[in-house]
Amino acid sequence: MPLLRRLWRPSAERAPQTVPEALRRAEQRRREGRYAEAGALVTRALELDRDNLHAHLLAAYLHVARHATAPAKAEFRWVLGHDAHHARALIGLARVALEEGDDRVCQDLLRRALLFYPDFPDAAALLGALHAREAPAAAPLAAAPRVDRLRLPGTGRALIVSRADGELIAAQPAADDANNVSEALARALRLAAAALQRCGLGPLHRAIVNDERDAVFIRTNGELVVSLALPRATDPPQGLLDVNRLWSATLHELGLAAAPPPIAFPATPVSTPADDPIRRVS
Amino acid sequence: MSGPRLKLALEHDNATRGRHVRDIVQELKRLHWVRGAMIVAADGFVIAADLPPTVAVDSVAALTATLGRELETSAARLGRPSFSTAMFSADDGTMFIAGSRIGYLVVLADQQANVQAIRGALGDAVALIEAAWAPPGDVRPA
Repeated sequence: MPLLRRLWRPSAERAPQTVPEALRRAEQRRREGRYAEAGALVTRALELDRDNLHAHLLAAYLHVARHATAPAKAEFRWVLGHDAHHARALIGLARVALEEGDDRVCQDLLRRALLFYPDFPDAAALLGALHAREAPAAAPLAAAPRVDRLRLPGTGRALIVSRADGELIAAQPAADDANNVSEALARALRLAAAALQRCGLGPLHRAIVNDERDAVFIRTNGELVVSLALPRATDPPQGLLDVNRLWSATLHELGLAAAPPPIAFPATPVSTPADDPIRRVS
Repeated sequence: MSGPRLKLALEHDNATRGRHVRDIVQELKRLHWVRGAMIVAADGFVIAADLPPTVAVDSVAALTATLGRELETSAARLGRPSFSTAMFSADDGTMFIAGSRIGYLVVLADQQANVQAIRGALGDAVALIEAAWAPPGDVRPA
């Protein structure tokens, strides 16, 4: 361990003597993902010039990179206190607001940034994702699905059926936090859909989100979302097949599909290999 | 554990980690059916990218970093484990995202991509970053 400590000790590089040097080295460390070292160099820059705007902005970015929201907001606000139209600070603060779920503040900040600098692609992209969130609510569904008929596969842990805006339609098993899960899922899917569109890949249809416990298989058509939590070790083709079956059954329950209900589990998939790209994802 | 860590520390100290992140992106890009890859910090800063020229890197970086943070913060709010990898599939391709110590690894692939292979490669890349970037005594379990 002493050898490791010696290897990982900050190098004997001399401390920067000027603000530009400190900031240049900080930017370099940032490009390498060495946030702690970059932060130390920004601190050095602020020792040399405590009102340096670039240093405060860089400090804010580094706080965001290290998921420290409160100090990041303070630094972005400091920059805006000295330059109310600073587009980068406006965008940075907007992203923090988005992360905190304050879409209205985020939108205001992005609009302010784009007002002065209309060519900021990241601001335009985020604003586009926010507009997607504000899509008008879909017409009420004729009936809620009978979730007891949407049978989970044997290893299924949870099923959530919701609108794309996050409104919960049905959950199995019924859980206190099903509404919150549904809303969180909707937010993530809207951002993912916006990213896919920006990449020119088309509308989002399927997703798999893995954590250390579960693999959540999702199917959506932009209006409806069906998500199925299965054990993490589930094979992707099997999980996608399972959520496909539940998707078809949900559409039938909601009166949105003419196909016969593939409710019984296991069942023959409704779609064919030719029209179902899931099968190619394996 | 100290063997590989020691080697990585020796290799990647002294500002060679810039090259190291580019190597990680290149390795991901080399996978079958993969169109491009990037590493983006949580603030949307692009650390390294090799994406098709048709992709607007800054816009996609802003959105994927926001998406990564959304997946992390919503899991925290709900008291659930944070996501490790996520895959989003569309008509014309698939996007993978994985969280790491320095930011999010993003892979764009064709529809035909092998999900398991790409997730495995992302897991390896995350482990490599963890080994090379974590300070001593602060290595997250794989």
